[in-house]
Formats: sequence, C-alpha cells, structure tokens
Amino acid sequence: MSASLLELRNLSGGYPPVSVFRGVDLTVREGEAVGLFGPNGHGKTTLLKTVAGLIDPWDGDIVFAGDRLNAEGRMRPRTSRHLNYDLFRKRRISAEAVVRQGLIYVMQGNLLFPEMTVEEVLDIAPQAARGRKGTKQMRDLVEELFPRMRERWRSKIRFLSGGERQMVSIAVGLLALPRLLILDEPTLGLSPKLRIELCDAIAKIRARNVPLVVVDQNVEFLTSLVDRLYLFDHGTITQEIDGNEMPSHEEVMTMMFGEAH
Amino acid sequence: MALETLAFVLASGLVLGGLYALMAAGLAVVWTTLGVFNFAHGALIALGAYIAWQVSQYVTGGAGFLIGAGVSVAVMFCLGFAMHYVLVKPFERHANLVLLAVITTLAAASIVENSILLAWGPRDKQITPPIAGKIEFFGTAISTHDFVILAVALAALLAFALFLRKSTTGRAMRAVAQNREAAELMGFNVSRLFAMTIGLSASTAALAGVFVGSLRFISPTVGTDPLMKSLIVVILGGVTRFTSPIYAAFIVGMAEAFSAYFLGLYWAPAVLFAMMIILLLIKPEGLFGRKTRTL
Repeated sequence: MSASLLELRNLSGGYPPVSVFRGVDLTVREGEAVGLFGPNGHGKTTLLKTVAGLIDPWDGDIVFAGDRLNAEGRMRPRTSRHLNYDLFRKRRISAEAVVRQGLIYVMQGNLLFPEMTVEEVLDIAPQAARGRKGTKQMRDLVEELFPRMRERWRSKIRFLSGGERQMVSIAVGLLALPRLLILDEPTLGLSPKLRIELCDAIAKIRARNVPLVVVDQNVEFLTSLVDRLYLFDHGTITQEIDGNEMPSHEEVMTMMFGEAH
Repeated sequence: MALETLAFVLASGLVLGGLYALMAAGLAVVWTTLGVFNFAHGALIALGAYIAWQVSQYVTGGAGFLIGAGVSVAVMFCLGFAMHYVLVKPFERHANLVLLAVITTLAAASIVENSILLAWGPRDKQITPPIAGKIEFFGTAISTHDFVILAVALAALLAFALFLRKSTTGRAMRAVAQNREAAELMGFNVSRLFAMTIGLSASTAALAGVFVGSLRFISPTVGTDPLMKSLIVVILGGVTRFTSPIYAAFIVGMAEAFSAYFLGLYWAPAVLFAMMIILLLIKPEGLFGRKTRTL
C-alpha cells in the first residue's frame, strides 16, 4: 500500500456557531482517486472548502504529503458584542499555503472572474505553481482535453455557458500543477452532451495518474472513475467502500436511505 | 462668444478633466477592488503635493520637480500599501466593513491633514512649474505646463490600464476584485493584492497632488475639493470599466470650466451636483455603468 497523500483526522468545522461536519476521517493515497457521495446540503462542500483553506477548521488535522496544513488544537469560538475579536484572531489555515502545496480545489459552479477573458484567466492560473516545473506539459494537456476552449479564447467568462465555465475552472486547477485535485460536482447542471464530454476529460485526467477527489451525484460515473468511495451523510462519513465491491446506484441509495428511499 | 474665449474655456476644461480623471481612477480602482470608498484620497493628494514640494526645496529647477514627483509617487505607494493593513484589513470580516471603512478612512484623512499642518505649517506653498512659456491654442495663449500635465495624466492612466490588462500582477488584481474566493483558490495573496491596489491608487493621488500643487497654492486641505469632484465623477460615470470614470472626468471638467465662465466660479459645484442628482434619477448606475461593479 502506498503512502497517504491527504489525511483528514477527526476533522470538524462549519460556520460558527453552526457546526456543519464533525469527526471526518478520510484518506487519499498517492496516485489514487477517491469519490465522495452524499445528499445535497449535508456539508460536503463545506468540508472541501475547509480542506482548501477557505474556512477555518474547528478541530482535527489536515495532513497533506506529510505536512500539517492547519493550526494545532481546537478553535476557541470567542464572540463578543462589545469587542472586535477579529482583530486578534489568526486564520487557522491559509488557502495560499494549501494551493502552494499543490492541493487544488475546483469549486462547485465556479463563476470565476466574469469580466476577464479565458486567455487572461489561463495566463494567471500557473501563478499558483510558480517555481515548479511542468507548466508547459500541463498547458498541452489542457489544450488536448478542452479543444473547444480555443474557440472562446477571447470571450469574457460571463459570456460562457455553464459547461465551458466548468472546463475553464478545471483547466485553471490543472495549470496549478495539482498533486491532488479536488473536483466538487464538476457535472452539476450541465446538458447531457457536455456532461459526457466533461466526464471523458476527467477520465483522461485520471489516466494521467493525477490523484483525485471527486464529488458527484451520479454513482455510476463515480464508481467507474474512483478506487474508493466514501458515503457522506449528516455531516460525517458513514461508510467507506473499496474498489472491488463498487455498488450500483440503487444499492448506494439503499445503504444511505434504507429500502424506501 | 469669441473663438478665443471658447478655446480658453475648452483648454481649461481639458486640463481639469485630466486631473479629475487621474484622481477618480484611483478612487474607482479601490472601490471596485475592495468594495470600500477611500475618503482619505483627498488627504493623500495633499500629502503627495507636500512631499514633492519638500524635495523641490533641495533640488531646484526642472530636475527638482521630476525627482519630487518621483519620490512622492514612491512614498505614497508605500503609505497606501500600509494603509490597507491599518484601515481595512482588521475589519475585513466585519459585517459592516463598508461603514467601518468610511470611518477609518475619514479618520486617516483627518490625521494626515493635521500631520501636514504640524510638519509644514499653515502657510501656503507652491511647487514651481518646471516648464515656462505659453503656446498658441486657437488664438489664446495657454501655458505649456498645462498641456504637459494633461499629457502626463493621460499617459499615467494609459500605463495603469495596461498594467491591469497585460501584466500578471494587474490581472491578479482584477481577479481578486471580481471573485475573491476563486482568487484565493488560485493561490494569490489577497491581502497583498488589496494593499497594492490601495498603493497604486495612492500613487495616482500623489501624481495628481504634484500637478495640483504646481497649478494652485497648496494647503493641508487642498485635497478636499478634488476629492469631492472625483466623487461626483465616479458617481456620474459609474465604475463598470476602468475607462468609465475617465470619460466622466472630462465631462465634469468641461461642465466646471463652462459653468465657471458663464455662471461664475461659485456656481460650478452647484451645477455639478445638479448634474449628478439628475443623472442619478434617470440612470442610477452612472453614465457608462452597468449594475455590477468590476474592474
């Protein structure tokens, strides 16, 4: 068994004072693709945003490639109607540091930068990987995966369709030279044709041995792609399914919601 | 109206427009990027002028003016950079950020103006214009210095626009302005980019201050009037694009020049405010604006 790349240990967090997820243990090994499946509104995105450094975790560890990314200890929720504690509170995790480590999160339904052109966005994307090698090859891979982006090179992002925007989002993630790429519902709200195109692209990224964490509502797509599947329900991981015993959509539904789902 | 008079009013309107464009662009960039309004911009204009004046006391002549302007722009960039960490960042996560920033920047304006009074005294100063002479402009003589100011102001704005559009740092600044979360996920240091935005804005304020200081006498409150005019410009033009306040600045400059000539100097602000109110009634997002704010 290869070394673990990302390890979440007993992670909990949320938007104070609302706890969204708690006691999450999740491991992604080197070269592995992991799926995360669960109902909407149960905290998957909040969990991933926390891992990406956008939200401060409350407790637990985020360890990536042997380095701890978040501050140690529990977050003490201090609020006061009279004092501005924000002045003294330090962030417990920094998105910049997370990205520089190569842990790249591609947001769900990312609006990106509406007034910038595709060309401009892809031009600044490799900044995340400054000082590392491989940008050239990654540019070639992006060209190969999303040939239709060339046609929209000079369009502003706000004129792109949802699918095209998702492609740009993934391309931005790839250009940051990910050591682990987290895709949050990449096929959400897309037309069937674009969906197939995008799933193909993700499969190709997988074929390049880029470690992945994929969240999706389609079990068939997930099981075809990933080595392991985590079921996420009510703010915590309820089950871990190994690659050899990948269930069908119906079976997963039964596991999560019982017979009468 | 004689042609010479018209030419004179037009020329002064153009120079005013150039100055307002420089000031308003600085304000607009901070507003679109950070979402706060920098009321200290006027005080920065004054401080920029004083720094340039101080330098020109040691080095006389045209070189003094150039070095003074350069030093002023550089110092003000650093000051603007620091201002972000003192005035805006501590309140970043506060729900009332916009209101708090109004107060902190007003406080900064007051502190800067009083520090100027303390350091340089109440007596008015003037930066000696480096270029003497006049040129013929449709029958009237306009000072060459005025035209140089207009040209340099436009060149500075062009350079600023090119920086935002073409350079990686400029593009990153626009990215942060448009979607902060997505920019964070691309590994940009958001605070530093915000600080640079205020720094660049302060630099344009310094340049405007140097020009104002070579046209009029400078006092600690010299920036108050330009700040008000730039506010009108920003509201009038909208902030959708980098260029929208620039066009509006020339409209305001012309309106001011014409109303000052025909109605008298004291009526000019009233005319401008009336223009602004009427426009707000008809097109609230500004002459060249859309409803969104971006860079």
